Amino acid sequence: MLSAITRRELTTLLRRRRMMVLVFGLVTLFGLLVVIRWPSDGRVALTGVRSQQVFQLFGYGLLATLLLLLPVFPATSIVREKKRGTLALLLNTPLGPWRIFTGKLLAILALAGIVLVMSLPAASACYAMGGLSLYGDLWKVYLLLMLVALQYSVLALLVSSYAQTIDAAVRVTYGLVLGLSVMTLGPHYFFQGTKGSLADLGELLRGLSPFAALMSLTGAGDFGSQGLVNRTDLLGRFAICSLLIAVVGSVWTISRLNHRIFDLSRSAGAISDDQTRSIQWIRRMFFLVDPQRRSKGISSFINPVMVKEFRCRRFGRLHWLLRLVAVCAVLSLGLTYATTAGTLDWGVETIGGIMVVMQVALVVLITPSLSAGLISAEREGRGWQLLQTTPLSIARVIWGKLLSVILPLMLILCATLPGYLVMVYIEPGMSLQVQRVVICLVLTAIFAMVLSAAVGSLFARTAAATAGAYGVLLAICGLPLLVWMGRDAPFGHDTVEAVLCFNPIAAALSVIRMPGFQHYVLIPANWWFLGIGSLISLLVLLWQTYRISRPQ
Amino acid sequence: MTADRPSGSVSDTPVLVLEHLTKQYGAFTALDDLTLTLNAGQILGLIGPNGAGKTTTIKILVGLIRPTSGTAMIAGVDCVRDSQKIKRMVGYMPDTFGSYDNMRVREYLDFFGAAFGIAPRLRAKRIDEVMQLTGTTYMRDRFVESLSHGMQQRVGLSRILLHDPKVLILDEPVNGLDPQARIEMRDLLIQLAAQGKTLLVTSHILPELTRICHRVAIMTHGKLRAFGTVEEIGRQVSQQRTIESHLVSADQVTAAANIIRQSIEPGADVVEVAAEATVRFRTARSESDLGDVLTRLIQGGIRITQFREVQTDLEEAFMSFARPKEGAGAKPAVVGGAAHA
Repeated sequence: MLSAITRRELTTLLRRRRMMVLVFGLVTLFGLLVVIRWPSDGRVALTGVRSQQVFQLFGYGLLATLLLLLPVFPATSIVREKKRGTLALLLNTPLGPWRIFTGKLLAILALAGIVLVMSLPAASACYAMGGLSLYGDLWKVYLLLMLVALQYSVLALLVSSYAQTIDAAVRVTYGLVLGLSVMTLGPHYFFQGTKGSLADLGELLRGLSPFAALMSLTGAGDFGSQGLVNRTDLLGRFAICSLLIAVVGSVWTISRLNHRIFDLSRSAGAISDDQTRSIQWIRRMFFLVDPQRRSKGISSFINPVMVKEFRCRRFGRLHWLLRLVAVCAVLSLGLTYATTAGTLDWGVETIGGIMVVMQVALVVLITPSLSAGLISAEREGRGWQLLQTTPLSIARVIWGKLLSVILPLMLILCATLPGYLVMVYIEPGMSLQVQRVVICLVLTAIFAMVLSAAVGSLFARTAAATAGAYGVLLAICGLPLLVWMGRDAPFGHDTVEAVLCFNPIAAALSVIRMPGFQHYVLIPANWWFLGIGSLISLLVLLWQTYRISRPQ
Repeated sequence: MTADRPSGSVSDTPVLVLEHLTKQYGAFTALDDLTLTLNAGQILGLIGPNGAGKTTTIKILVGLIRPTSGTAMIAGVDCVRDSQKIKRMVGYMPDTFGSYDNMRVREYLDFFGAAFGIAPRLRAKRIDEVMQLTGTTYMRDRFVESLSHGMQQRVGLSRILLHDPKVLILDEPVNGLDPQARIEMRDLLIQLAAQGKTLLVTSHILPELTRICHRVAIMTHGKLRAFGTVEEIGRQVSQQRTIESHLVSADQVTAAANIIRQSIEPGADVVEVAAEATVRFRTARSESDLGDVLTRLIQGGIRITQFREVQTDLEEAFMSFARPKEGAGAKPAVVGGAAHA
């Protein structure tokens, strides 16, 4: 009975043509990586530096693949069954929650196993080039990747058991992936070499990141080590953390798989206006803009589609945005104050770097969730047909939808402006840099928005649209950074600079002269890329919208 | 059976005119030379099995599909060329609700009112009016996705009434509704027709259509098979009429059946239902011949409480058109010679 669920899940996954294309694409990519670096003149470096360089990139590539590709399947697994009603059927069988969970988990792990097995020929080629140890390098990297697959699959299943919609599950899962794998590196990066609770926290948190573990394994040094040597066993620490998370997450998810998962009453639609004055006052204090107040009619001067989009969102309604903006503003001002007060001696460039990284991370995380489902959500919910029967033109519909994304992004970008202003006040010479950074951020936001909307419009389902948009955007933001990590070896300065021109994060970091990026000149090439990319994406979005709207 | 149908507001002005409407998808013909007209204030019931071409017809009327040939006009406006004008003249309720997450009923109606360009003040007034008409006022603060199917259908109806269209096109409005919701929806449609709206309704629940429709069009395989009132269609389906005679006592059922057999065509169906003290028979005889049958029954000492013609059921009519068409050589013919209301 256990194998029945696993078999069903796995065949459903593998039956998709996209999956086969993806797996074979990966194999080809890994193969090419080895072929490019394969010795062609009959001589082999005895130090094995060349194969280690390739293996380093190969490891990061595999890790990025697992982090970007894998979570979407467990994230949609339970919530999709819940929405379709098949979870109730499963719970009604003698299988029990443990077997249902294990069946699903095994199927996802089998998929991860397939990806890893497909990468074995390329790994063997690296090994054959010499310089790599079977146990010390290959085995440990694959062990790390298996742990990553286990941990993130369990977490995604847990998220899926709580999610009410498929796209929300995808959104939260990718947020978790980004948070656990990348954001956990932040505190260590800034506090390493210092003493105190913050440094301890940074040390503790980086144990959660698979990137830190992989860096220590492949000998790439610590993330932003700045010359500091660290001999911590990060793989061991990561293994303990990931196994702990996997066990807790599994028990938690299994405890969710019972009749209570459906035990949700329909919302009675409580309205604050009907409550007592004191409750109304408390809600206003708490929310600033109460989401449960009775909304006024849409003004004639406002695009109704934009208002509709705002009202339809759970995350994205005004009270959430105001909270987010407030956090951004406080954080940016706090960082700047810490520098001016002499609490931290990071320098203005580093503070600027943190703000840029945080803003871009926020934009990259939030934009696809707001923008990817603009068209697909309408199609999936059958709202598109209704919109077609109204006199609204396609251009007005698209503009209204894009406006509903532009406004939150503008608020987020504006929220950190006070931080930049203080920075310019401290260091007037940075005025031009700050101006360029702001342009970079604005262009990044526009690019992320239009690209996500365009990619999302190609899908009929919101979950696929959201996952697709996240995948493309994270690939554009993440893959060039992989090349950057291999700067000087195996990639030369020119290659890294050429690749980084496609990366909006790198461009902003190079402008603010963040350590590690200060030697690359990425402007205006990056602006051209973002501008042309945005234009092409907009055309794709318009064409796709026109295509699905015209009478058949 | 027909007492429910709205009367009084039906005019002779044709509102819906379809002429030789054809839609082809490659070699497949979804709609084949459909011609019919419908007058203002009438309710047209469009019935047919899945794939009959009902939804294709509807989508052409609301401008979502372009016909391969033929014309479709609503109140003199071409559905294909003037699709923008048509959007303001037609209220279309598809078979799926089209809900938006996190949106309250009033917000939902406000959005569609704004999409139709109704000014805010007028919109607020109009929303109150349609909510009152459809009985949805009490659910104005509820989230649309949390409503039951019946409630959603009524909200859907409110949505299409907002811009006060002349023609309402409803695809399966009673599908999936419980009996009470179905009755409420039926009453609502009758009320709307009484207000002068022209309605085109598709449904699989044929008794519902029998009760409310002035005209019924039966479609199979993209062709119009029958068009007319339910009575006209029933008469065309069967040249023979079903007559039912209720007796005072079940003891006389056999005797009555014998008299009837002697009075009508030899070999005709005569069914004795002793439990209901009824004799039912099918005949092609004229009214005066039936009068003679009644006289003979009375002269034979049979005590009769009722002697009446049983109307041919729409389901029966539908099946008689749908069944033969499954095979080849289907004969496309419009009952009554012309498909005009």
